[in-house]
Amino acid sequence: MMRVTTEADFAAALAALPLLGPQRLRKLLAHHMPSEAWAVIRGEHHANPSVAELFSRQFLGHKLRERATVDHLDATRDSCTKSDIFTTFIGDDNYPPILAVDLAPPAVLFWCGDLDAVNQRRVGIIGTRAATAAGRYMATQLGHDLTAQGIAVISGLARGIDAWAHRGATKPSLWDEPGSLTNGRPIAVVASGLDVIYPRENSQLWRDVQRHGVVMSESPPGTPPEAYRFPLRNRILAALCEVLVVVESRVTGGSMITVEEAQKRDVTIMAVPGSPRTSCAAGTNLLLQQGCAPVVEVADVLVALGLDHRRCFPDLFDPRHRPTDADERILKLFDDESFGHEAVTLDQLLVRSKVDLVNMALALGRLEADGWVVNNGGWWEAVGPSRA
Amino acid sequence: MFASMRSATLLGVQGRPLDVEVHVGVGLPGFTIVGQPDEACREARDRVRAALLSSGLSWPNRRITVNLALGGERKGGAGLDLAIAVGLLVTQEILAPECCSDFAFLAELGLDGSLRSVPGVVPLVGALTDRQVIVAPNCVSEARAVSRRSVYSVATLGELVSCLQGDTAWPQVIPQEHEGSNESADVVDMSDVRGQPAARQALEIAAAGAHHLLFIGPPGAGKSMLARRLPGILPQLEADDALMVTMIHSAANLAIPTGGLIRCPPFRSPHHSASMIAMVGGGTAAMRPGEISLASNGVLFLDELGEFAPSVLDALRQPLEDGLVRLSRAKSSVTLPAKFLLVGATNPCPCGEGAPGVCVCDERMRLRYLRRFSGPLLDRFDLRVAVNRPDVDDLLADEHGETSALVASRVARARHIAMTRSGCLNSMLTADLLDEHAALTRSAMQLVRSQLERGRLTGRGYHRIRRVARTIADLQGDLGSVDEQHVAAALALRIGIQPILLGDQS
Repeated sequence: MMRVTTEADFAAALAALPLLGPQRLRKLLAHHMPSEAWAVIRGEHHANPSVAELFSRQFLGHKLRERATVDHLDATRDSCTKSDIFTTFIGDDNYPPILAVDLAPPAVLFWCGDLDAVNQRRVGIIGTRAATAAGRYMATQLGHDLTAQGIAVISGLARGIDAWAHRGATKPSLWDEPGSLTNGRPIAVVASGLDVIYPRENSQLWRDVQRHGVVMSESPPGTPPEAYRFPLRNRILAALCEVLVVVESRVTGGSMITVEEAQKRDVTIMAVPGSPRTSCAAGTNLLLQQGCAPVVEVADVLVALGLDHRRCFPDLFDPRHRPTDADERILKLFDDESFGHEAVTLDQLLVRSKVDLVNMALALGRLEADGWVVNNGGWWEAVGPSRA
Repeated sequence: MFASMRSATLLGVQGRPLDVEVHVGVGLPGFTIVGQPDEACREARDRVRAALLSSGLSWPNRRITVNLALGGERKGGAGLDLAIAVGLLVTQEILAPECCSDFAFLAELGLDGSLRSVPGVVPLVGALTDRQVIVAPNCVSEARAVSRRSVYSVATLGELVSCLQGDTAWPQVIPQEHEGSNESADVVDMSDVRGQPAARQALEIAAAGAHHLLFIGPPGAGKSMLARRLPGILPQLEADDALMVTMIHSAANLAIPTGGLIRCPPFRSPHHSASMIAMVGGGTAAMRPGEISLASNGVLFLDELGEFAPSVLDALRQPLEDGLVRLSRAKSSVTLPAKFLLVGATNPCPCGEGAPGVCVCDERMRLRYLRRFSGPLLDRFDLRVAVNRPDVDDLLADEHGETSALVASRVARARHIAMTRSGCLNSMLTADLLDEHAALTRSAMQLVRSQLERGRLTGRGYHRIRRVARTIADLQGDLGSVDEQHVAAALALRIGIQPILLGDQS
């Protein structure tokens, strides 16, 4: 059976050509439709003068011509069909307008799910891959609450904060209810090809985001997660955001690249404050120092979006058992300023509280069972909303 | 002419008596040793010849054949030199056969005729119960650890000949009876530890119940320092344990204290480059005991646990369960004791910091680091304690912690309770003995049930928690059933070392 080769198929095949990077592709597609561009590469069509200059290097033009075969076209089309990957290109009807007006739009965009999700109100949540319990909690909570308010949560499906934000956004309880139609649909921008799930432990989350919203990538199917693709991915992520919330970040790192890209695009950047002694929060605290608006609850983000924050009721009811007075005293230790960081060891708790091991163990057991503290690889951390 | 002399060789940590038969007959002058000698044994020819000549004794220029009787197994070492030399003297009728028949000979000969010590004197002398044994002067105290009466020592071959002929009396051995005096000097005290109450308690519980212990913490948190204090709070070895430890150390040719018996529990901390053979034993024909046997009745401390070869660590699993290691080779197989208390120390992650918020490793890197220890090995650590660097206030405070002596007295009491109750330490309790001696109260059962249901505890972990809880109760003097508080403490000292991953928490 012969399928009609659409413009999108040509675009996918062009994007999958080696040696044709995002910049060259953008220039090529700015002057030619994909089918025409394909013919240009194969030397069957006259190139626009500014494009011709690009391929003037004998070697490059020759190499590209060699690769641009009908087999390549079919192979790209098949791998897209097999994994339900759709393609759009700059100038196409499907192409998200918000990206079309960007500084460095992806010339060809692959997506799985429903690309309409891009037309909602959008907030990006990003942060470090090595997060604290508090950071994880914050990301999950923001992801959940924004989704419930009908706002799309954008993130990168990386380890750490990214994954936790989308985990909040795809929480089953949100999507089971009849009201799930008004939910914001999550958006993920990834660096690898859409059939190459990275990191693997997020595969379930990846599928959930795809089911409820959209996963998109600039890379053609089969592209491995190469390091240089992540900063490129971050620029698309930044371009899609109306507001970018940084939950936890070190002074250097991928999140800060996204922040820079967002600054270039005049995207509102907000940051969740953290302890000044945690290196995990050094980046976000720096952003706050430079004048970013702080985020401590979802209403802050809603205000930044110009939405009515009054429709967002804070969860007044905390389902957890109130700790007994003795346990409360131990819980207070977690807020102790003199601890260098928020996670504490059993030793530190014992020294500070003067409680003996047996009673401390009992108290921690009760607090853990009720969801006040978690044990993370030997360190104890307090979780949940702060006890006002 | 023929003579037969008694000596012994070493296999593992046991001595085996054997007869050295010497025959001198007509034929081309020459010297042959038969009966599967190893290279060191074969070299006896040159040493014995030189020793005889430099002692002013004669070397028969005839056909000499030496047979190491009770063949079938390979014999190693230079310890048979003296027996061969005396045998040659008997065949030359310099010595009468009857004046040698009550003796066994255990020494290497120097070229000047002096007697030198051989490895494994303690088990070797132990195997020669029916004879009086002649050893080199510098291993007399060792030899006397097993046999007080029947050990003699002379400095040279010439001296030995005159003693055996009855011309001179046996030289008096100077008794050096200050047992263990040089051992306790390098035992460090618990009072040096500042703060770190959980880690201290873990040490105390480990000592009282012989529970294996893992310290997880950043560099400089004092993991090694804590571990080195463990032998100090263990009780002194009892007579038969002390003898066993002394025999193993002697067989491995390690220094034995001047008192003869090793009284302090041994503390072995091999470097992480240790090979499989170095760890479990074997390697030579004599099957030298490895680190796990040397740590028998004491502590095996593995610092930087993650840096050990995975195969070496997994080789520990069977000895940890059985308390002994069976080494099988094509020509021989031995069983070596390996009942040790394992203490491990490791960093929590590649960057070493571990604490969430400080550590820069992402989840995958931490997991990969921790995956180096196989699950079964990790499960065998009853106590897993996170240690952090002590607070500055604690470090600078003048306040000293409890002394080792104080802790040791509590440990001894708890051990006594356990031994009188079940005849073994708590870590050795089998599942049915646990039901009998460590029944859980209703509230304790609920606590355990909730942990099991949440998947925090495996089946093996369940029994381990109960054993540790029993020890904690013993230390507190609660002799009845095990209560919620004991189980809670046991759970708090057995942290899950895996970081929280996506999917663990909803």
